[in-house]
Amino acid sequence: MCRGGQAAEEKRLVASKIHLPESSGLVLVTSHSFALVRSFPPLFEFWFLCFCFGVLCRVRLKGARRVCVSSMGPVELLHMSVFSQSFSPCGRFLAAGNNYGEIAVFSLSAALSPDSTALNQKPVLTFTAHEGPVFSLLSTDCHLLSAGNGEISAWSWSELTKKNVKPLWTRRPNYKSSLEIPEINSMTINSRDNSLVVGGGDNNIHVMDLENGVFKTVLQGHSDYVHCVTVREREAEILSGGEDGAVRVWDSRTGQCVHCIEVYKYEVCARPQYGKWISCVTTDSDWMLCGGGPSLSLWHLRSLSPTSIFNLSGCQRQAAFHQDLILTVGEGAFVSHCLLGGEVKAQIPCTPQSLNTLQLNNNSTEHRVLTVGGSSDHIDVFTNLSYRAFSLRF
Amino acid sequence: MSSDALKKRKSKVLRNEGGTPEMKRGRADGDQQDVRVYHEEVELDGRDPQQDFLQYKETCESLANLMSEIQELKANGAKDGCAEVEKKRMQSCIHFMNLKKLNRLAHMRLKKGRDQTHEAKQKVDVLHLQLQNLLYEVMHLQKEISKCLEFKSKHEEIDLVSEEEFYQEAPPEISRPQLTKNDPHQLTLARLDWELEQRKRLAEKYKESLASKETIQKSIEVKKEHLRSLQPGLNAIMQASLPVQEYLSMPFEQTQKQTEIARHLPPPLYVLFVQANAYGQACDKNLIVSISGDVDEAKALSKPPEDSQDDESDSDAEEEQEKTKRRRPTAGGQLDDKRREMLKRHPLSLGIDLKCKGNYFCVLHVLVGKNGSVLHLYFYYLMNLNIMTVKTKVSTSTDLSTAISAGELLKSDTLLSCLYTSDQGRETPNPANRYQFDKVGIISFGDYVEELGHPYMWVQNLGGLHFPISSNSLSASHMENTMKLLRGRVQSRLALHRQFASLEHSIIPISSECQHLFPAKIISRLARWTTITYQEYLELPYTRHVTEAGLAKETDLYFMGVVERGTARLNAAVVLSPRYPEISPLFSLSLSWKGERSGRTDDNLRAMESEVNVFKSELQGPRPGHQLLTNQFARLCVCLDVYLETEGQDDSVEGPREFPREKMCLRTVRGPNRLKPFKYNHPQGFFSHR
Repeated sequence: MCRGGQAAEEKRLVASKIHLPESSGLVLVTSHSFALVRSFPPLFEFWFLCFCFGVLCRVRLKGARRVCVSSMGPVELLHMSVFSQSFSPCGRFLAAGNNYGEIAVFSLSAALSPDSTALNQKPVLTFTAHEGPVFSLLSTDCHLLSAGNGEISAWSWSELTKKNVKPLWTRRPNYKSSLEIPEINSMTINSRDNSLVVGGGDNNIHVMDLENGVFKTVLQGHSDYVHCVTVREREAEILSGGEDGAVRVWDSRTGQCVHCIEVYKYEVCARPQYGKWISCVTTDSDWMLCGGGPSLSLWHLRSLSPTSIFNLSGCQRQAAFHQDLILTVGEGAFVSHCLLGGEVKAQIPCTPQSLNTLQLNNNSTEHRVLTVGGSSDHIDVFTNLSYRAFSLRF
Repeated sequence: MSSDALKKRKSKVLRNEGGTPEMKRGRADGDQQDVRVYHEEVELDGRDPQQDFLQYKETCESLANLMSEIQELKANGAKDGCAEVEKKRMQSCIHFMNLKKLNRLAHMRLKKGRDQTHEAKQKVDVLHLQLQNLLYEVMHLQKEISKCLEFKSKHEEIDLVSEEEFYQEAPPEISRPQLTKNDPHQLTLARLDWELEQRKRLAEKYKESLASKETIQKSIEVKKEHLRSLQPGLNAIMQASLPVQEYLSMPFEQTQKQTEIARHLPPPLYVLFVQANAYGQACDKNLIVSISGDVDEAKALSKPPEDSQDDESDSDAEEEQEKTKRRRPTAGGQLDDKRREMLKRHPLSLGIDLKCKGNYFCVLHVLVGKNGSVLHLYFYYLMNLNIMTVKTKVSTSTDLSTAISAGELLKSDTLLSCLYTSDQGRETPNPANRYQFDKVGIISFGDYVEELGHPYMWVQNLGGLHFPISSNSLSASHMENTMKLLRGRVQSRLALHRQFASLEHSIIPISSECQHLFPAKIISRLARWTTITYQEYLELPYTRHVTEAGLAKETDLYFMGVVERGTARLNAAVVLSPRYPEISPLFSLSLSWKGERSGRTDDNLRAMESEVNVFKSELQGPRPGHQLLTNQFARLCVCLDVYLETEGQDDSVEGPREFPREKMCLRTVRGPNRLKPFKYNHPQGFFSHR
């Protein structure tokens, strides 16, 4: 229903767009020719038909072109949140998903070029991918995988760069509950057996074989919904963090839960005033970062004990290892740089008031940037980690 | 050596002998000096200068020889008076004499040469003078010739009939073809004669026509007199027919009078009058058109028909000039006068009364009693600025003074603002006015809007006035649309007015049509509803994003609503566009409960904002959506309930909860930013996520 209303508003917008810039010249010309032709009735009829057809076609053409541009009104833009990002395999494009189910594709090479204008900071392509918010985006070596309300769609990067938007396939994990479609909060690729690990609203982790598109395993154990999943390649382990406050370590071969760390029970990192959920988990060899309701903490996986706690206000939503630094975003309009020892080295301000996602572009050396998105239609781009260079806008 | 010297001497002698004969002759011939001079001159003529030069050279040479011989002799020891030396000296003396003679001759020759040159020069001068005289004469003659050539006769300016026509029409005694065929001069003369003849004839004809005209005019006068005598009789008949008209309820007289007055309306108002009348008769019985103002003054204005209607600007300029001449001493007063003159309205104005009730009545039934309100529009025409302005007034049958915060809603200066997009009616739409204002020092038309009315764009369109920015279409095409908009605007304002009245009493009215949008039990209550100023709105910390996005404009209205439940207090700053409900109100939230949080920092409050701001189309209710604002408030209350009831899930907190869970939720949190379920599902009555 609301979509229909937007579409109607959009059409009106388009119509006004057509008329305003040309009105002075065009109207003059048309009125002149109108007066000329009116004197010959049969001719007039023909002319009038042609004229109407021309106007209609013009409208349709303009409308068609607008598909690529954001269809959001100012109020919608004001209430937009960016939940997910993914760089293309070539590293020249960035896909970002928002709360309206749209995916925007930005051209990094254009935005980063020295003669870039404000127009280059707008997406080259925007399309509605899902009905619900796009909580997770993931790039394989040629596909873009997007997760919407309980479904996963795959898009070909090469087609997207040609502005063709047609999903290659859409798959839905086998959900038990039917009243509300569970959302998908996190996806990751397990390259060991070429499978996709999906965690979401039904408390389970589904593993899909990317070869044939079959969901082959379900990892059950979380008592509330799963916030995040990550893969430890060397050990063939899957880690997941959930709303129930547990980080579970699964054996990807047997599908058994190997360990369960209840982070909120460790006094050093518990923060009862926030809650117990774990919203980010990431690993690097024997080390794990996790945070959420409890403070962001670095864990040694072999001994399963926290080694350093990061004293950050607010809940962290995504963290990443970068060289000897830990980059983390969450509530608060800044990217935090932490040292492995537990110190917070710097907090770099950015545009959105709270941040949901952080991505480092390692796919291309010339476009090596950090991008962060959150409760705004802006995606901040850091060419240097220590300051915000510019923002991409929906 | 001696022989050498001898030879030289001999040769000298010989030459002397050669040179002397003339001298001897001269001496012998002339005893007197004159005669001798004469002789010498004659001799001079006879001699060749070249010969003289050679002789001179020889003499010099032999003289030198003699000198050296004498020196040689002397060196050899000859005595002073020695004969040899003496002889040689004699010879040299003769040579000297010779030289002297040559010298004199040379002088004479020089003088003679000079004389000759002088003579020749004089002759040349005379000739030169003569030449110049002649040249001058030539030039003068040429000038005269060109003057003659350039001479233009008067007859060339006369437009003559062509030659063929002339030969066809002119009688032979004037044309004389045998004479004029070959002589263009004669031809021209003949044609001029013919022209004169024709002109004489036409002058006679003109006189005749004048006479006939006079007679016709006289007959017209007579006829007019006759018609005038008919007038009183007709009037009497009209008077007599009035009761009949009234009896048959056919107001011919009244409409006739109105059209009579309408004739004196300025063109834009006349266009509007005609269009409004036509529209009223055809489509809208609730539209009444009337004309008010001083008819006599208007008549006076349109008295000189050629001037006032076509060249209004010209006559204005003249008037202005007269004014400046008269009132020079006080500059300020003069400028004031000019301003007043420039902003002068046409004495007649057009009133349109728009009755608003009926169609949308059922919508407001819950909120309103039976009520008919009228929108009065008064249209004025500013003659010198060539724009139209409108003043508005709303009159209602019920008392509307109940709502304090609604004071702005029906004020004439905001009522119709932005009827069409960004048409605020503060600035004059005629670009030419800027220059007129510059001349008299008016900075902005906005300062005079109170007094003169608003020059909205749609008013100009209704009057058929087109300025470059406006679209090029006829008054008629705007009529229906504008009337509908006007009616919609007044209705939405009246609806808002009533909503405000109940909001101020902390009641959120929900009509039966919208009942399904909300759960039966809403615990949060609206505590306060007040107006705030634009400035106050800007100063709120949680509205900055709205201002930065350019969604809060000075023309908008601003309100503050407070929703309360228990210790929680939700402040909602509302931007209300004058185009409500077409542009929906925009809420910004701030919650004070266990600390201060706002939509900027709390994702859940942000989600509540988007619940009312973005998903507004669900809340519009029956068309045209006059219940949007109250529905938004109702949803805000519901969302606050959900927010408070689902907050604080942590089991470790002891004691009873302030807000027990009453709403049915499938899941309390969802997604990476842990949003609460704000969406109400009607028949089942549970809350879910978007």
